[in-house]
Parts: sequence; C-alpha cells; structure tokens
Amino acid sequence: MRLDLRGVSAHLDGRPIVHEADLLVDDGEFVALVGPNGCGKSTLLRTIYRALRPSAGLISVDGDDVHRLSWRESARRTAVVAQETPAELDFTVREVVLMGRTPYARAAGDDEERCARALDRVGLAGTEERVYATLSGGEKQRALVARALVQETRLLLLDEPTSHLDIRHQLGILHLVRELGVATLAVLHDLNQAAAFCDRLYVMSAGRVLAGGPPGQVLTPELISEVYGVRAVRRTQLVFERLKE
Amino acid sequence: MIGETQQDRVATGPVSAGGPARRRGRFGVLLVLLAVAMVASTWLAVSIGAVPVALPQTWGIIADRLVPGLVPRTWTPVQEQIVWEFRLPRALLALLVGAGLAVVGAVLQALVRNPLADPFLLGISSGASFGAVLVLILGASTLGGLSMSGASFAGALLALALVYVLAQRSGRLTPSRLVLAGVALAYLFQALYSFVLQQAQSGRAAQQVLFWLMGSLGGARWEMLPLPTVVLAAGLVYLLLQHRRLNALTAGEETAVSLGVNVHRLRLTLFVLTSLLVGVMVATSGAIAFVGLIVPHAARLLVGADHRRVLPVTALLGAAFLQLVDVAARTINAPQELALSIVTALFGVPFFLWLLRRRSVDRAVSVT
Repeated sequence: MRLDLRGVSAHLDGRPIVHEADLLVDDGEFVALVGPNGCGKSTLLRTIYRALRPSAGLISVDGDDVHRLSWRESARRTAVVAQETPAELDFTVREVVLMGRTPYARAAGDDEERCARALDRVGLAGTEERVYATLSGGEKQRALVARALVQETRLLLLDEPTSHLDIRHQLGILHLVRELGVATLAVLHDLNQAAAFCDRLYVMSAGRVLAGGPPGQVLTPELISEVYGVRAVRRTQLVFERLKE
Repeated sequence: MIGETQQDRVATGPVSAGGPARRRGRFGVLLVLLAVAMVASTWLAVSIGAVPVALPQTWGIIADRLVPGLVPRTWTPVQEQIVWEFRLPRALLALLVGAGLAVVGAVLQALVRNPLADPFLLGISSGASFGAVLVLILGASTLGGLSMSGASFAGALLALALVYVLAQRSGRLTPSRLVLAGVALAYLFQALYSFVLQQAQSGRAAQQVLFWLMGSLGGARWEMLPLPTVVLAAGLVYLLLQHRRLNALTAGEETAVSLGVNVHRLRLTLFVLTSLLVGVMVATSGAIAFVGLIVPHAARLLVGADHRRVLPVTALLGAAFLQLVDVAARTINAPQELALSIVTALFGVPFFLWLLRRRSVDRAVSVT
C-alpha cells in the first residue's frame, strides 16, 4: 500500500487552504505530519479520506486515484481516526466499533470476534456493551482506533490521535499503530513524540509542505523557528517509555 | 496491550441503566409484544364507538368478510356495515399513518443529526396542509379537479422542491440548511393557509379545515389504504437495507464518508423518501403532530441507537400509539371527536420537555 500525493491543492469556502502539496507514504511506513495550528494539516488529510475534493492535484492509493474509486472501495483501503466524535446517541461500544465494517458485505459471523480482538488491542476488552457516550475522552478515542482496526485497511490516517490521552495511553496508541505495520499518516502536535515514532515526517506551514524526510534531518532549529516562530533548544529532559507488561 | 488504569474506571462511572446486553436479548420479545399491542389496540379501536360491537363479534365480522360463512352470524347488518366500512379502514389507516410518521421522524433525526427533528421541521407537512386548504376552501373545480389528498400531496412536493433548492450549497445538502430552509418554509406555508382561511366565506368550511389541519382519520375509506401501504412498505424495506449507512450517518458526515458511504446521495434519497412518506400520510389524515418526534425517542430508549432495531420498533410503536390516540380522540369527548394533534400533544409535550432536560440533547444539537 502506497499513498502518493502530487500537487494537491484544496479550498474551503473558496479560500485556498492547501497549496500544491507533495507527500508520500510507503508500505508499512509511519509518517508524521506536523505544523502550526491552521496550517492545513487536517484539510490535507480530509482530501485523502474524501471528506473534501482537492481543487487540483492527484491523490493515489496503491496507484489508483482515490477520488475515482467507489466509496466502498476507498473505505476498504483507507481508515481514519479523526477528531470528530459520534453524536451522543446511545450507540454501544460494539455498535461504534462495528461501524468499521460498513464498507464490507453484510455482517459475517466473525464480526463479533473482530470487535472483541480490536477492543482488546486498544485496552478496552470487555467494554462492548457499554454506552459509548459514557466513556471517558481517552476511552472514546481508543474505541475509534478500534473501529479503524476492524476496517482492516492497509492505510491508516490519524488526525491527532493522542489529543485526549494521558501520556501512558498516548504511547500505547502510537506503539500499537507502529506494531500494526500498516502505512500510517498521522497528524501529530508533539514534535518530540513525532520524532520518536515516525520513520519520516513532513512539516507544513501556511498550506505548503515545506520539508520532508527523516526527523533528524528535517526538524532543525532553523526550520522550527521559521515555521513555529519559537526557538528550539536541545536539552536533556525527561523521556517517557512504556513499562513492560 | 494498553491496560485500563484505575483512573479510567473511576472516570467513566456506571453503565447506563437497562444495559444493551439485555436490550439485545429482549429485542425479539419486544417485537412480539409490540405486534400484539398493535393487534390488540386495533381490535379495541374497531369495537369501541357509538354503536358498540362486542369484541368477539368484530372478529366474526372480519372473518365472515374474508371467508363468507366461516362463522355463525351473531351481529346485525348495521354493526357489520359500521365495522367493515368505517371502523376497520380507519383503524388500519391509523396503523399506517402512525408507523409512517414515526419512521419518518427516526430517519429525519438521523438525516439532520438533530434529536428534535420531526416531519414538521422540513416544512413538508405545512406544504401539504396548504394544498389541502386550497382545495377545501376554493373547491376542487378551481384547482383542475384535484382531490384534497392529491392537492396536499402536490403541496408536499412543492415544499420538498423548495426546501431542496434552498438547502443546497454547491450542489450538496447540508443538515443545518435543511433545518433552516424547512422551518422558514413551514412559516411561509402556515401564513399562506391562514390567509386563505381568513378570507374564506364559509365559517363552516374553515372549521372543517382547522379540524383537518390538526389531524383526523375520520375520512378513512378502503380505497385510501393501498397507496400509504405500498409507500410505507417500500420505504421500510429500503431503510432496513440501509441501516448500517444510517448508523454511520448518525455518527457524523466525515465518519460516514470514511466508512465508504456516499453521504450526498444517501441524504438526497432519504430526503425524497421521507418527503414522499409525509406527503402520502398528510394527504390521508392531515397534519398529526408529535408522533414523529416522540416515538423514535421512545424506541431508542428501548433498544438503543442501532437503526436495525430502531426502525422496526419505531414502526410498530408508532402504529400502536396512533391507534390508541385515535381511540382516545373518539371517546374522550364523545360523540364529538377531538383532533388527533390535541391528543398527541397531551402526551407529546410532557415527553418533549423531559427530553429537553436531558443533557445529551444540548450536546447533540450543538453538533449540527
């Protein structure tokens, strides 16, 4: 699975948000997308999962133009964990997770098992019958990751997947995604975390992709001060690692 | 993998009452109970009235009509005529309209992601009423021989077309615009038919129209039943086939898109389907308020949010509910009949207020 963006531009309400973005995610790669608020990261992501049609450029997944695929087919190739959370209706966790099977033919008998397995992987085993609205913010986010898992795609898009999570669960989700080994494009806010987890990363600013490559090469103090308007200083600091279970 | 921390458990609190495990187990039982309630309420509706017919006799009359000579006749011809020609079609129409309006409410609540949505919200009921009022006041001849139901159906389609045009934004329907355009048009049509009513020469005709506007099944005849039956059956089958997409749509537009749903086509189909259903129902029975609002919520309280379960339960519950409402409307102030909206509002308003007090409504509304 390979995601390839060539010269992608996007407009919202006639306003240009993304300008001619080029971006590549290779099979099994974990790629981070970073940049200041409002730089167009989420908008770019939305053009990939078809919530928004790009005004120019080509987005291909496995060689096919995403926007020409059938809706089902593109959903079988790409799963999303976005920031939007489902309406506060009384869906159970099982029902929310099994929504991930929507692009596939009528529910097979093993959907229950898929659901249980995905919940187990995100640390929510046995919560199937709970009402989604009663979960904590972090649990909701993990349930949405489980939904993306049962969608069984080989490309995963994450829009700030760790924004509601404490440090332990942030690391948990990022490790989980890494271990899945599927091509992943993740919008992340924490530069240190992005640098620690990704194979490569892209930096966006004012709608343009400024730089891409291994974090060590891209995240220079010069670029960070240019993009974020802050001074980057290398210091020894606390580093968080998961405890082995 | 990622263990659940003590904090998480504390933060999440108790599972809501009547957990879904029980919900699932009792779904089948619930359907049977509702079907029984539907039949029982219909039986009651057919027996009660100015000319009382004993409960076993109503069965006898119906059986005799279906298979002549099956049971010994213990009833008078008058009883037979009343049951067969008036009460039974009326009772069946009550089931159809109740189920139809309730299902429309459930679909609209998913379509515009607003728990307060009901058939009146999209202005379609008002458009239908406007058409019917024109026929009643001006007479069918002025409108090219259009029947009242034909005119109200035309009114519904007119409203539908207007809402559709107004709710578009670069070729797409957006929920917030649907609501705004619908509400605005509802007021416009209300103003129009109020104007026509005021100008009406005959006070008696105006009275009739007002009664009809509040909903009445009094005009039910056998020949009125096939169209609502076909539309409702076709609509229900389609909606049940789409239940997973409806669920995804309820979870949000972007979520639905990422799950492979062609959101714009689905919204358009649902919009046309609900409009047709409302048009047909209003054409036969006037504008009956609150059924489309209350019943889907009651159904969700019973079986959760999954449309695979919500839709059948909503249909059965709506049918039984409107049947009982019609029985009440006929008996509370007998021999005069109450308009159905009066009775539904007596149940509906307290429920509505209770619903408003639930926190989740605020949140869900703010999403739209």
